[in-house]
Amino acid sequence: MHSADPEALAPPAATGSPWPRTPLRASVVALLLGLAVTAAFALTSLALYHQSEERLLRLRAHEVGSVLTAVVPSLQTPLASAAELADATGGSAQKFRSFIAPYVGPSRQFVSASLWRLGTSAPAPTVVAGVTPTLASLPGKARTFFAHAEHSPQLNVTGILGSSTPSLGYEFSTPGVEHGFAVYAETRLPSDRRSKLAGNSAFSDLDYVLYLGRTRNSRDLLVTSLHHFPITGRQKSVVVPFGDSAFTLVVTPKGPLTGAFFADLPWIIVIVGALISLAAALMTERLARRRLHAEELTTVLDRVAAENHKLFTEQRSIAQTLQHALLPDTLPQLTGMQASARYVPAAAELDVGGDWYDVVATDERHVLVIIGDISGHGLKAATTMASLRHATLAYAVERSSPAAVLGKLSDFVNSSAHDYFATVLCVSIDVDAHRLTLASAGHIAPLLIEDGEARFVEHEGDVPIGVAREAPYRETTVSVRPHSTLIAFTDGLVERRGELLDTGLERLRGAAGGQQVPLGDLLAKLVDDLASDGHHDDTAIVGIRWQ
Amino acid sequence: MAVDGEGIAEIAIDTALDPTGAAVVILAGELDSSNAASLDAAIAGILAERPDRLIFDLGELQFMDSAGIAVLIGAAKASDVRLRNPSRIVRRVVEVTGLSHILPIEP
Repeated sequence: MHSADPEALAPPAATGSPWPRTPLRASVVALLLGLAVTAAFALTSLALYHQSEERLLRLRAHEVGSVLTAVVPSLQTPLASAAELADATGGSAQKFRSFIAPYVGPSRQFVSASLWRLGTSAPAPTVVAGVTPTLASLPGKARTFFAHAEHSPQLNVTGILGSSTPSLGYEFSTPGVEHGFAVYAETRLPSDRRSKLAGNSAFSDLDYVLYLGRTRNSRDLLVTSLHHFPITGRQKSVVVPFGDSAFTLVVTPKGPLTGAFFADLPWIIVIVGALISLAAALMTERLARRRLHAEELTTVLDRVAAENHKLFTEQRSIAQTLQHALLPDTLPQLTGMQASARYVPAAAELDVGGDWYDVVATDERHVLVIIGDISGHGLKAATTMASLRHATLAYAVERSSPAAVLGKLSDFVNSSAHDYFATVLCVSIDVDAHRLTLASAGHIAPLLIEDGEARFVEHEGDVPIGVAREAPYRETTVSVRPHSTLIAFTDGLVERRGELLDTGLERLRGAAGGQQVPLGDLLAKLVDDLASDGHHDDTAIVGIRWQ
Repeated sequence: MAVDGEGIAEIAIDTALDPTGAAVVILAGELDSSNAASLDAAIAGILAERPDRLIFDLGELQFMDSAGIAVLIGAAKASDVRLRNPSRIVRRVVEVTGLSHILPIEP
């Protein structure tokens, strides 16, 4: 018996890297796909973030610009009114002071307001409210300024005056008045030009730089919330007209205007996406490894199945060899008579069957045919069969009649304890007399084919061997025509589960009739037709033909 | 004789007591070499009670092979056995094997 090599059945050991190539490739693909999707989402989110930041900053810059625009009237209106008053009162100092007083002071709009007569070569203030104007100490600058302002119908701005206490000056004179008065006011700028917007202001999320004029010249810096400028990074600038000059406002967000979450969103996407990609890659790796393992197992199982099949085939072949060893090698061939036999083991059965047959020439003109079937299967049935067969051979040699053979066989079996029974058919053939005598121990009667017509020999069987003591066996003698054929068989040839036995018998009768063919061919045909595919029982068949 | 090549056949074995004092073994399903031993064990238990008679009710038995018949024959050696309601298939097997006297069918 072949024993399986355990090495051959073990799964193949992993060689080299513990990461097999195929699963790794799949998981790398999964990882790259995941990262690509993550990157796409992150970039989209980043683009959207920048877009909305730009839009929001533009809106905020315009809002601040609008606020600045509102500053102009608040400066111009008191100056314009004061200028008209001065023109109307001929430059009354008392009238001017009382009018302008509410606007002048350390924490008011102007630190200084003064009245100047226009059209003079050396302009100087005629009336001063608040501190002395810085412009008064700059005669050259004052001359140039007023020469220009005299013909300007709007608010005129001086530019930044002084350095230790920088100020910004504004002038307004009523247009079209000859030798009228100009009202001039100054505002003090913070010395370091730094000013924070109030914390609760609507613009607390912005940093700003405010320049006088239309350019970002650091000399023109009015006020800023920053320590360092010019501004780098995201920024927007708005130019707001301011009298004959302008303000240039540059704003930059202190932080994300849309909120910290949207600023962080691309990074959140990157981190979460990378984690998910990594998890997907690991999962892919795991699944792929499982699959590989399953495939390996399948290979092993296939190998085991092949091994089993081989073992099964070997065992079956052993069983068949044993069966054949227990059955006769050759059958006697007498003049005027032909004998042939077939044995077919049950399909897919390992066990040795309990069927047997013998054809014994008792003398030159007589033959005894024995066919039997022992209940059960396996080695026990086979050894029982062997002992019954040898006992029967002994009785046959004694030239006992069929009934006597069965009687002796019954006595033999009953002489010891047993838990089986056997059906046995015993037929004595008289070759010359064309006659047969049969006795049956519960065995199916044989088929007789005469002139192409098949019929079962009419004989009522007695009890099987091993069932009852003192069992009488009866004989039937039948004369046959020349060239007749006798077919004795075991029930495997005719028995089908769930089918009446007579149906199987009729099937056999139909298959056996018709034109005569050589005896060997006939037996082969019957076996092929009736006991071929998937039959459960083993089958023995013996044929005798008179010539 | 017949052997099932497809595992163990299904059989249900029930026992009852007849008013006449006979033990009734009711078989349903298929009786063959794969499950004959379980019936043999059941019968051994029943015979230990020494019933007057053993009746096999085969009304629901669809198939019986030689191993099954061997069990019935074994019972018939130890007790008076009758078959009740055998199907035509089973009845024919009993007839053909010449067991009508050993395993008589109830009228």
